[in-house]
Amino acid sequence: MAVSQRPSHGGEAKRHERWLKDRAGAVKSTLMLATGSGLVGGLALIAQCWLVARVLDAAIIDGAGLSEVWQWLWPLLGVFALRALASIASDALAFEAAARLKRTLRDQVMNRLAALGPRWMEGQRSGEIANVLGGAVEGIEQYVAAYLPQKLLSTMIPLAILVAVLPLDWVSGLILLVTAPILPLFMVIVGRGAEALNQRQWRRLSLMGAHFFDAIEGLTTLKQFGASRREAEAVGRMADEYRSATMRVLRVAFLSSLVLEFFATLGVAMVAVYVGFRLYYGQLDFLPGLFALLLAPEFYRPLRDMGANYHARMQAIGAVGELMPILSEVSGEPDSDQREGSGELKKALSLPSDPIQTIHFDGVGFRHDVDNAESDGVEAVDLTLARGECVALVGPSGAGKTTLAKLLLGFFDPSVGRLELDGVDLREIDVEAWRARLGYLPQRPTLFAGTIAENLTLGAPNATPDEIAAVLSRADAHGFVEALENGLDTWVGDGGSGLSGGQIQRLALARTLLSQPEVLVLDEPTAALDGDTARRVMAGVQSASINAATLLVTHDIDVARTADRIVFLDRGHVVEQGTPAALEATGGAFARFVELAARGIA
Amino acid sequence: MTGLLRLLKLFTPYRRWMLGGIALGSVVILANVALLALSGWFIASMALAGLGLQTIAYFAPAALIRGLAILRTGARYGERLVTHEATLRCLAELRVWFYERLEPLGPAAMDTWRGGDLLSRIRADIDSLDNLYLRIVAPVTNALLCGIVIVAGLALFDTRIALLDLAALVLAGAVLPLLALKLGDAAGRGLTETRAALDGAATDTVRGLGELAVLGAVTRQRERVAGLAERLIRYQRRQMWVGAIGRALSGLTANLALWGTLILVIPCVAAGDVPGPQLAMLALGVLASFEAVAALPTAFAAFGETAAAARRLVEIADAKPAVTAPDPAAARTPARFDITFDDVSMRYRDDADWALAGFSLTLEAGEAVGLVGESGAGKSTILALIQRFREFQAGEIAIGGVSVRDIDDATLRQTISVVAQRTHLFNASIRGNLLLAKPDASDDELNEALRLAGLEEEIAHFPEGLETLVGEVGTRLSGGQARRVAIARAFLRDARILLLDEPTEGLDADSEARVLEALGNLMQGKTTLLVSHRPRALEFVGRVVRVG
Repeated sequence: MAVSQRPSHGGEAKRHERWLKDRAGAVKSTLMLATGSGLVGGLALIAQCWLVARVLDAAIIDGAGLSEVWQWLWPLLGVFALRALASIASDALAFEAAARLKRTLRDQVMNRLAALGPRWMEGQRSGEIANVLGGAVEGIEQYVAAYLPQKLLSTMIPLAILVAVLPLDWVSGLILLVTAPILPLFMVIVGRGAEALNQRQWRRLSLMGAHFFDAIEGLTTLKQFGASRREAEAVGRMADEYRSATMRVLRVAFLSSLVLEFFATLGVAMVAVYVGFRLYYGQLDFLPGLFALLLAPEFYRPLRDMGANYHARMQAIGAVGELMPILSEVSGEPDSDQREGSGELKKALSLPSDPIQTIHFDGVGFRHDVDNAESDGVEAVDLTLARGECVALVGPSGAGKTTLAKLLLGFFDPSVGRLELDGVDLREIDVEAWRARLGYLPQRPTLFAGTIAENLTLGAPNATPDEIAAVLSRADAHGFVEALENGLDTWVGDGGSGLSGGQIQRLALARTLLSQPEVLVLDEPTAALDGDTARRVMAGVQSASINAATLLVTHDIDVARTADRIVFLDRGHVVEQGTPAALEATGGAFARFVELAARGIA
Repeated sequence: MTGLLRLLKLFTPYRRWMLGGIALGSVVILANVALLALSGWFIASMALAGLGLQTIAYFAPAALIRGLAILRTGARYGERLVTHEATLRCLAELRVWFYERLEPLGPAAMDTWRGGDLLSRIRADIDSLDNLYLRIVAPVTNALLCGIVIVAGLALFDTRIALLDLAALVLAGAVLPLLALKLGDAAGRGLTETRAALDGAATDTVRGLGELAVLGAVTRQRERVAGLAERLIRYQRRQMWVGAIGRALSGLTANLALWGTLILVIPCVAAGDVPGPQLAMLALGVLASFEAVAALPTAFAAFGETAAAARRLVEIADAKPAVTAPDPAAARTPARFDITFDDVSMRYRDDADWALAGFSLTLEAGEAVGLVGESGAGKSTILALIQRFREFQAGEIAIGGVSVRDIDDATLRQTISVVAQRTHLFNASIRGNLLLAKPDASDDELNEALRLAGLEEEIAHFPEGLETLVGEVGTRLSGGQARRVAIARAFLRDARILLLDEPTEGLDADSEARVLEALGNLMQGKTTLLVSHRPRALEFVGRVVRVG
C-alpha cells in the first residue's frame, strides 16, 4: 500500500542519505559509467527523434518515397540498437556498483559484529541484528542501482533535449524552458507529497492498518476473554477507518502527481498547438517543429521515472537507519576494535602460565544494563577454581549462574572486584589468547549450517578422525551420528533442524571437547537429555577434563553431585559451598533444593 | 487460481469502484495516445496548410488537443484516488472475511500452522492480496481494454498498421515479459534459497557469536557469510541480465513497430493514396500505444506470488474447527467449580501418538494444584482441553459435574481466566487492554485491579498513565510488567477457575517475586491449575502432580 513506508524525520532522513551517499562514493566510477550509458541512451533518443522527423518531413512535405528516405531509415535501426545496448549497459553497471557497495557494507557489518563481540550482543535482539545483514543491506540496492543514476539523468537528459530544441525552435524550447525551473520544484513537490504523511499520521495509520494482525496474533487471548467474535466487528470498523484516514492523506499526496501530470501533458499540448499555428503562418519549418513535438514527451519522462524511484530512496533511508547504529556502535571489548580494525595487536599480556593452575573470583560483582533486566547480576562473589577440579554452580533460575560463567569467558568485565588467572587480572590478558584455552557449551548451543563434521571441527580444523570419534563417544553422540544415513557428512542447518534438542546439545559438547580446552565452561549441558544419557555424558566429560578446570552450571541434582565442589548461588550471592556430600549433610540451601527436586518440582 | 477467483468474488460489492478505477485508468492511457496522434496529424496538417497545399479548420483540433491534456490530467488524479479507494475497500472486506473464518478455528488453528511462522506468512499473504487489484487486476484489464481500443482505432485508418501494432503490443507487453519471467525463474528460486541461507547464517552468527569467539572460528563464519552473499549476488546478476535484456527488447519492439509503420505507410503517401498528416498520426500513435502495456511486466511478476497467497489463505479459511459448540438447547451452566479429569486421552491427529494418555485428576473447588513434567508431557494439552481449544478422544472433563462439551462458549469463558507466559498485549492503551476483560469497568475498578496486580504505582509513573500505548507500537513493558497486566485483567474478570501457564517463566528473580505476590492475591478462593517449573511458584500450590 501507499502508506507502508515509514517516513523518517526530515533531518534524520538527510543524515541517513548523506551517510549512504558517502559510502556510495566508493563505487562512484562505476556509477558514473552507468549514468554515462544512460546519457548515451538519452542522446541516442534525441538522434532517433531527429531521424524520425527527417523521414516524416521528407515523406509528408516533399512527398518522398521509400527509396529517398532509406538514408535515414537504416541509421534509425542503428540508433534503436544503440539505445537497447545503452539501456542494458546502464542496468548492468548500476547493478555492479550496488553489488560492490552491498559487499562492502556486509563486510563492515560482519567486522563490526566480530569486534563488538558477544558482550554487546547480549543486550540486542538477535533477529534485528541478523536482519541487518540480509534485509537492510539489500534495502540500499534500489537506491544505488536506480535512484542515484536516475537522479543525475533526470537533469541531464532534459537539459540535452533543451539544447537540441532551442536553436531549432526557440518557442517550443521556451515552453520547455519555462517548465524547466519548475523541475526542481517538481522534485520538492513529489518529495513533499510522499512526506505529506508526517510521523504522527503514519503512526496512526500504521496502528489502524496493523490492528487486524494484532487481532490475529492475540486470537487466543481474545478467545479466553470471550471477546473474539466481538472483535470481528472491530476489525471491519478499523479497516474502514483506516480507509477513510488513508484516503484523506492520499487526496493530498496525489496532488503532487496531479501537478506533475498537468505540466507534463499540458507542456506537450502547448508545444503541439504553438508549433501548429506557427507552421500555419509560415513562421516555422515542419522539420524543427516535428522534432520539438517528438521530444516534448521525452523531456518530462525522466521526471516521472524519478517519482517512481522515490520509493527506493525512502526504503534506503529506512535501511540506513538499521545499518548506521551497528556500524557506529562503540566496541564492547575495549581492545577488540583495534585488533579487528588495523590488525595492530594491543600490548596485552599473554597468559601467565601454561597451563593455567588457578582461577580466582575476587569479590566479583556485575550488574547488567537496565534494559536487559531479564538476566541476573552477581554481587561480591569469591570463588576459586583449580586445574583438574570441577565446580558446579547450583541455584534457582536467575541466581546469576550464567552471568558468572560469562564473566569467566570474558564476555563481560566485572564491574566490581577482579577475576584472576594465576594472579593476573583477566582484563589485562589478551582475549584471543585466553579464549584459545577455553571450551564453552552454552545453554542453547548453536549448530551452524553445514555438515556435522564441519560443525565439530569449527574450533579444531586439524582434528583427526580418531580424535573426532573419541569426542563423539565421550559426548554419547557416536550412536546417533552413525545411525544417520550420511553419518558425519549429514547436513545440519537452521539451528540443527532434523536433530532433537538433546542431539544438538551432545554434538555441541563434542565440539567443545575436541579442542581439548584447559578451562571448560558448561552451561546446563544435560538440560535436554534424559537421566541415563545425562549420566553417560557427564562420565565422558569427566574423563575428558581430568586436567582441565571445569565450571558446570546446572539445575540437575544428579549432575551437580558429580562435581568435586558445589557452589550454591541465590540472587547473585554465594550462599554456601562445599562437597556435595557435605552440603547435603548440613541441611542448608542445597539440601533444601535437593528436597524440592525429590518432590519433582525443581 | 481458484483461490484468486474466490477472493475476487469477495470483492464484487466494490465492483463499481474497481470498474471506475479501470475506466479512469484507460482514459489516462487513451487520452495520451490520442493526444500524441492528434498532435502529429495537427502539425502536419498545419504545415501543409501553411504551404498552401491544403486547407484546415484548425480551431476544433487545437481545442481538442488542449482538452485531451486536461482530460488526462484529471483522469490521472481520479484514477489514483478511485483505484486506492477500491483497494482499501477490498482490503477491509478481505480482512473481515479472513478474520471471521479464522476466529472459529481458534488457537488450535494457530498452533497447527505455527510451524511455518503462521503470522508472518499471513501478514505477507494479506499484504500481497491487498495489492491484487492495484497491481494485477487493474493494469491487466487496462492493457486489454486500451490495446483493443487502440488497435481498433488504428484499423479505421490502416489494417496493416493495426495488425503490426497488435503483434508488437503482444510481444512487448506479454511474450517478452513472460519469457523473462520463465528464464528468471531458476535464478529466482536460487535467489530465494540463498537469501534464506544467508539469513540463517546471519542468525547463526549473531546467536552463536559467543561460541564462535571461544572456538576461534569467527573468521571462518565470516567467510561463510561472505560466500553466501557472493552467491546471492550471482543469482541477482542473472536476474538483472534477464530483466535488463527483456526491458531493452521491449523498448526495441516499440521502436521497430514505429519503423515498420514508416516503411508500410510512406509508399502510400508517396503514391498519394494516404494524406501526409495521417502518416504523422499513425507514427506517433503507434509509438504512444506502448504505454498501455507498460505495467504488465510488474503485474505478471506479482501474479505467481499473489495466486499462491490466495491459495494459502483460502486453505486456512476452509479448515475445520477443532471443536464443535454444544447444541444451545442442551447447554448447561456449572453451579460448582471443582474440576475432574477422568481418564482423558488426546492426540492431535488420528495417526499421531497420544499427547495425553489416560490422565486423571480431581481438583476440589478452590483448590490449587501444580502441574509439572517434561516439555511435551501434555501439560499445555491439559490446559487447552479444559478451555475447549482442543477436542479429546476418550474420557471426560467436567467442571462442577458438567462436561466441558456441554458448556456453551460464553459461559466457559466467564468461568475460566488465564495468565500465561505468552499473554498477548494488544496495540492499544493499558486501559484498552484491561477493558478487554470487562468492557464496562469503571476507572475505580481498573485502578483496583492494577493495585492488586502490584502495578498501580508503576503505571501512575507513566507520563500518560492508563492511556499509555503498549504492545509493538507503544511503550515496551518489561516482561514482569506485561505479566502483571495480564494478572490485572484476570482480577477484572474474576472468574472462578484460574489457569496459570508458566506465569513466571523467563522473569528475573525480582520480577518473579512481584508477579508471585500478585498471583497469591489472585488465587484466593479460586480453583487453580498452575503449570510451572519454578520452585518459588510451586510453593503457592497445595499439591504438585507430575504429568507424563
